[in-house]
Amino acid sequence: MSLTQYSSGVSAVVGMELRQRLRSRGWYIMLAIWFALIWLVTALTWISWKAQSGYNFDPGFGRVGPGPLIFEAVLAFVLLFGLLVAPAFSANAISGDRAAGTLAIMQVTLLRPGQLLWGKFLASWIAALAFLVVSVPFLIFGISQGGLGVGYIVVGLLMLAGELGVVCALGVGISALANRPLFSIVVTYLTVAALAFGTLIAFGLGMMLSNGTVQANQSYYKNMEMYQGPEGPDAEYLDGDMYPAPPKPKDITDENNEYACYGPLVEQPAPHSERVAWMLGMNPFVVVADAIPYPDRNTPAQANYTSGMFEMISQSARYVQAGPEATYQCANGKVAPQYLSKQAPLWPLGLGLQLLVTAGVLALGWRALRTPAGKLPKGTRVA
Amino acid sequence: MTEQQQPPPQQDPPDADGAEMAGTELADAVPFNGLRATGLSRSFGEVHAVVSMDLHAPAGEVTALIGPNGSGKTTLLLMLASLLAPDAGTISVMGIDPVSNPAAARAKIGWMPDTLGVWEALTAREILSVMGRFYQLPKMQIPARVAELLELVNLSSLADQKARVLSRGQQQRLSLARALIHDPEVLLLDEPASGLDPGSRIALRTILRKLAGEGKVVVVSSHVLAELDEIADGAVFVNQGRSVLTQSVDQAAGQGRKYSITALDSAVLAAALTSMGVSFEAESARRDSVVVGVGSEREAASLLQDLVAAGVDVCAFAPATGALEETYMSMEVEQP
Repeated sequence: MSLTQYSSGVSAVVGMELRQRLRSRGWYIMLAIWFALIWLVTALTWISWKAQSGYNFDPGFGRVGPGPLIFEAVLAFVLLFGLLVAPAFSANAISGDRAAGTLAIMQVTLLRPGQLLWGKFLASWIAALAFLVVSVPFLIFGISQGGLGVGYIVVGLLMLAGELGVVCALGVGISALANRPLFSIVVTYLTVAALAFGTLIAFGLGMMLSNGTVQANQSYYKNMEMYQGPEGPDAEYLDGDMYPAPPKPKDITDENNEYACYGPLVEQPAPHSERVAWMLGMNPFVVVADAIPYPDRNTPAQANYTSGMFEMISQSARYVQAGPEATYQCANGKVAPQYLSKQAPLWPLGLGLQLLVTAGVLALGWRALRTPAGKLPKGTRVA
Repeated sequence: MTEQQQPPPQQDPPDADGAEMAGTELADAVPFNGLRATGLSRSFGEVHAVVSMDLHAPAGEVTALIGPNGSGKTTLLLMLASLLAPDAGTISVMGIDPVSNPAAARAKIGWMPDTLGVWEALTAREILSVMGRFYQLPKMQIPARVAELLELVNLSSLADQKARVLSRGQQQRLSLARALIHDPEVLLLDEPASGLDPGSRIALRTILRKLAGEGKVVVVSSHVLAELDEIADGAVFVNQGRSVLTQSVDQAAGQGRKYSITALDSAVLAAALTSMGVSFEAESARRDSVVVGVGSEREAASLLQDLVAAGVDVCAFAPATGALEETYMSMEVEQP
């Protein structure tokens, strides 16, 4: 079968699926509810920023508008609702046909199982992307309100589209395996929940189990000197007996503005978070947050920016991925960097693992769609 | 609804007979032209749906598949349609093994399932068009082919209605058109007549005879046995997953069967039958008719002559059951 023939079959399935979806009123109702909800979220975010801007009005530095706030709120909201809506489009794609008796009719034609899966997946993805398109005006509004570049919206939309695709593909794969639409929908929602919450729980539990040690020496905070040194400005106020000054370390191995590392290396207990970081990486929110760029905070001029929510997620994820060797204070006698901008991003690993799981589910689904069918699940009929 | 309108009556005798004879002759030749299944078996877990079935359906003939509910008819058809792999046995669809080469077999098979299975949000025309694309028909030819089939199954006036609003019988006809979209050489129909009104039944019969006349293999499973007498050339009786008997309709007609006789005066009829030594019983359904067992059609003819000669005013003299029905009832079918 040539590629053109193959894709022609796929496009026939896509066309048929989309035509059916466009005729279902439910899809439009959901789209309208979606639009209204995002409108509401955007408006509320903007109003709450307006209300707060009275206090935090500070033209000297930092953000000047609610841009990042609205952008992030809308993006996170779109992702959350996308994860909730995408299974509805995909998870009964094949099990629904099976229940209606139309699957066998397609299987008996020259259509291959792969064409069926591709067609169903693309159709559900397109239907889910329509929701993303509806939310674009709000994202643009968020961008236009604050100093964020076009790159943000492009990367943000691409990552959202990717995550929706993953959920749609999971749903189609599961629906190919299940016999009843209800079952496949529930299982798909549980899978999405596993990605969104299960990864966090698994990561938390994994952290407890990945206790290890790190070779580190001691840290000495330089700011303490101000209070303890006899020649300090506040010396009169302080009683030297109450705060006995530790001796200024002689064997400093590394230092920065804030503190210095000194002394011999000792084994210190520290969870090896880098071993379980991949679990965190599979979380869709982490993937999206980590992929969205933010300015390099190591330059002093920008160090005072209030960081956005996504940046915080991204930084913590990278911190976790770097593990204690890179982040534990004075590990191996080195000061730990405050910002991990140079650290390799976590999202390619997370997205890669998501795609791996998805590919596995789709492969199983493909196997279940092959005909002539050998083994059939108990209590099922081909037609 | 315009279901009463029928396609022009089909004159089957010359064409169909010729094809039939060709079919029977070819059955003995080495490359059997048609659909053949030998020793098929298939079980689902503990349930042995098909234990051992043989089916020979030569090209140019309509072969009926007859058996009680749960006897394995649908499972057999699913295996023939290349949807289900048999546990044992071989299938040959015009010389192609659907298990090892499903794509080639599917190009030759048209399958009409017993479940309706329509995409409710699509129109009849759209359903047939998309099926044409699934069968990789040239895109340019699809609209014409679809129009032709809609005409054939008498759905032209409803072509642009959503399948949801079609009645069961109309959906059934749409399903038949769907099975025919790629002009298959082998047609497997699972209960095609269920839900059809009398007009559509006659139309279906005409279509099937015409297809057989074109040299196609037609396999029909049905419960409407009287209907099959007129459509089928041969019948395969199945029970409890086994093919128990293969019989041509002519053979079935030649065997002994019951005749129902009605006379203007039932007392005279009873007296005449008694004097001739013919045992009879009053028919349960109709009041004034009696049922007699007759060995062959010839015997039936002479009995009628004798009755008329004896002065009985016979007003109805006809087989009490269809030929295939007679066989079916004599099979001692065990209903599970």
